[in-house]
Amino acid sequence: MSQTDTLPPSGLKQLWLKWRFHLNILLILVPLGFMPKYFADASLFRGDSGLGANIVENIQVGRWTLDLAELRDEAPRAEGPAGYFKAFNAACTSCDEGVKATYLRVGKPRSLRAAGTIFFGAPARMGTSLPIPPRTRPDADIWITIEGWDGKMYQASVPLAKASPATAAWLEKQGGNK
Amino acid sequence: MKQLMRRLALPLLALAATPALAHNPMCECTEHGEQITCKGGFSDGSGAPGVTLDVIGYDEQVLVASKLGDDSTLTFKRPEGEFYVLFDAGPGHVVEVDHADIGAP
Repeated sequence: MSQTDTLPPSGLKQLWLKWRFHLNILLILVPLGFMPKYFADASLFRGDSGLGANIVENIQVGRWTLDLAELRDEAPRAEGPAGYFKAFNAACTSCDEGVKATYLRVGKPRSLRAAGTIFFGAPARMGTSLPIPPRTRPDADIWITIEGWDGKMYQASVPLAKASPATAAWLEKQGGNK
Repeated sequence: MKQLMRRLALPLLALAATPALAHNPMCECTEHGEQITCKGGFSDGSGAPGVTLDVIGYDEQVLVASKLGDDSTLTFKRPEGEFYVLFDAGPGHVVEVDHADIGAP
């Protein structure tokens, strides 16, 4: 009968066998590091931390006034083949009467059909994703168009540099190269 | 077999979770001689057969009123003067392509 002696594990192996159990604790700590971002996002999307960044207040559009804010103070995001987009939020507490739809566009709309992207959600907090043509001039305006149930168009504009300084800076930097 | 199933379970589940895709309208127009071909679609890769595509002059006169074919494209003769192409998939889901942005592929 042969006897096999088990060799004592090497130093490194011993360390691993002794401490591998404690990796559990690391796995619990990793998500904790993401918690602040998670709660900040949750509060932003719920509206607890306000409408967004760089709020432009009391924009008069027809007989309504609304507040406009970018969701985050950052440059437009590339969203695949459709190009660059910037998320905006708007609040219009007086819009519950007479407003059919609210649109947002870079530059003055040519017609109601081409009024831009449409705002979704309740008037007190609605959001939209605005396409930013890469060749937009940094001094461009963004136009808010309200389509009333009376069939008329009501418009107002805000300088893009005021509504989203990060977008204006991004346009300045890429200088229409894209 | 059971062992294999266990090992594959997590990768398979991870693959099954398809990421949410944006559904933004897009439209590209290219010029072939006198003809312009526009192709519409959505950023999640789906086509846009039957969606309205109008060619409108700067004076808001509709020059070509049509719909995209089964292959999501429409070919038309380049109109005189200044115009833009309007891909219209419903209110707020439009893409404008200016005539100055239409060139040879």
